[in-house]
Amino acid sequence: MHDVKNQLAELALRLRKRGDAQQEMTIAMNAFHRLTEMLLLQRDDGEQLWVNADSVNPADFLEMLASEYTELFPDISIQLDVERAPACAFFDDALVRMALGNALHNACRHARARVQLAAFERSNMLVLEVCDDGTGFPESLLSTGGKSPAATSVAGTGLGLYLAHKIAGLHKLQDQCGYIELSNLSGGQFRMVLP
Amino acid sequence: MATVSKVSDKWVLVIDDMEGMRAQLRMSLSSSGFAKLHVVSSIKEALERFAAHQYDVILCDYSLGDSTNGQQFLEYLRTNDLIKRNAIFVMITAEQSYAKVVAASECAPDDYLLKPFTAAQFNIRLEKLLERQAFFSAIDQAADKKNWARMITECDKLIASRDKYFFDLCKIKGVALVRDNRVQQAVDFYRELLAMRPLGWAKLGLARALARLNERVEAERLAREILHEMPQFMAAYDFLGGLMTESGDKNAALEVLLKAREIAPGTMNRIRELSTLAVSMGKPELAESVMRETLIQHKHSPVRQANDYAVLSRALLDQGKTQEALTVVQDAKKSFSDKQSQLALAVTECGVHRAAGNDELAHAALERAMADADSGSCSADALVAMADACFALGREEEATRLLEQAVQNNHEDAAIKDKVHAALVAAGRDASEATALIEASAAEVIRLNNEGVRRAQAGELAEAIELLSDAADRLPNNLQILGNAALVIALDLARNGKDADKLSRCRIYRESLLKKSPDHPKLEQIDGMLRQAKV
Repeated sequence: MHDVKNQLAELALRLRKRGDAQQEMTIAMNAFHRLTEMLLLQRDDGEQLWVNADSVNPADFLEMLASEYTELFPDISIQLDVERAPACAFFDDALVRMALGNALHNACRHARARVQLAAFERSNMLVLEVCDDGTGFPESLLSTGGKSPAATSVAGTGLGLYLAHKIAGLHKLQDQCGYIELSNLSGGQFRMVLP
Repeated sequence: MATVSKVSDKWVLVIDDMEGMRAQLRMSLSSSGFAKLHVVSSIKEALERFAAHQYDVILCDYSLGDSTNGQQFLEYLRTNDLIKRNAIFVMITAEQSYAKVVAASECAPDDYLLKPFTAAQFNIRLEKLLERQAFFSAIDQAADKKNWARMITECDKLIASRDKYFFDLCKIKGVALVRDNRVQQAVDFYRELLAMRPLGWAKLGLARALARLNERVEAERLAREILHEMPQFMAAYDFLGGLMTESGDKNAALEVLLKAREIAPGTMNRIRELSTLAVSMGKPELAESVMRETLIQHKHSPVRQANDYAVLSRALLDQGKTQEALTVVQDAKKSFSDKQSQLALAVTECGVHRAAGNDELAHAALERAMADADSGSCSADALVAMADACFALGREEEATRLLEQAVQNNHEDAAIKDKVHAALVAAGRDASEATALIEASAAEVIRLNNEGVRRAQAGELAEAIELLSDAADRLPNNLQILGNAALVIALDLARNGKDADKLSRCRIYRESLLKKSPDHPKLEQIDGMLRQAKV
């Protein structure tokens, strides 16, 4: 599976270089992301998913995350709202990058023109937020809140949400632990809340 | 990129075995304004470049063909001080899981990039890293000079602003405090940090500092707690393994190192620990399998050392595979030509010949080793190994002399005294006799040193210089003697005016001390005196 995943990545790279195969590249890239998630889930089953939290600057973190998707979705404007972000937050950079990257990827696919990334503090927790201006999450996902891997019907969205839910939950501090929130405002709103 | 004017001055090295990746990185870097760019495909080529250049940014792929991986290469570069502390080292990898293991290892890269990545992503990451490089440059310069006190001062200046690098600064400061022997201060510092946030590296830092204060039980508890919560925290395995070995609990140490091996392909240091431990525990099969696999994997790689072959040979010998043991040594002799390696291999060869019943060849190998030992610059471990070989061949007197030399070169080092003691006991000496011999050897050095200092204080500088210089020439690894020899000559220069010969001798001792112990307190005194002498 690892090999297939890396071959997909290589394929995406080559397609990008050609310059005339944007859609094909996106397909390969999507498949790559999906497989990465599945591999992570496999690790979760074997209880191999561990969190090594360290100090991260949320503004830099979101800026770097956005840069991964600007090229992939040239028609979507990805905006940052980091004015209220704390200088230091604590989480596992690699895992949260993957979970939030997935949420951003979905937001970009469902957005009409705009996606906004934000970081701020709310009652001593860090909130990382992804909002889009699309049609919002389907009711089935809102009701489970991504807590079940079974809700994968909507073009694979459920799997990524389930992983995000897992990853958030693995972040613990004293008696608090992380979680995700889904809601529909003027589009889909995904929030990862971390202690 | 916004910082084009700055990046055009940065030297960049790309190490990647895949042609496509090299091309992508070259293109991204050039379009970002990097003008001084070298691209290589192997570690061998990279080392050639390092010999000629100081790079500011190094981008290295994690998997470099079948041989040494990027992490092992980074460990080699850092251990041998081949790159500046301020150089940015970015590991490029396709594996999320490797990335995680790498991040919590003893020798972590500054950042890692997951493949595939876009040009925009690459640029912004590099921009952040360059910003960080500039922010930490004064601290890193102090680190390169191994000036821990200076590092701490520089950290404190920046910590006050409590900005986004606050915890990175704290991480560096904690390590520097321990290095600067301010261990209790480090303990308090880590405890304060942990009260703010229970971060893995701060826990490990606290465990390290506690171990230095001999609070081993608490240190062990902390390390095990880290591994319980984060089984991928590789640095904690290395620390815990070392702690268990020092405590004499070899079984526990082996268990820890084997567990680490299940999680990640080992760094060379860990493989060395593991195989040496296995040999000493009478598990030569394990040592053989670990070391052989490693040496096959790293064939022709610079990360290998002669001693790795010595350990493999010993493991084979302990299983009665004499011929194989000999072949291993003879092959190794062809790849390692430096004196230290030749010595280690000659001692090993001696042991193999003796086991095979070829006493004549054993003696010949030992002679070769001893010829190098006369220079007096051998490490204590090499001296002890040679002494073991001498004992085995019935050359008691020479063995004793070598062990005396090991003690006298390091007369304040308890660990080396323990090794000498063990060697004497293994050779059949009585434990109390061994202790007496070690104490007598150490006492002779102390007497010499005190006599030199006394004479200097009495104003008999010429006599003091002669005494201490003779001692320093005979015991070039004894830091106290080296320091006092340099100091007394500097004192003479300050009192009696310039003398080119004396100055050059003073400098030789000073340099030698600096090289062996960059933070030795005597250095400051010597330099102060040399300033007074206005040389």
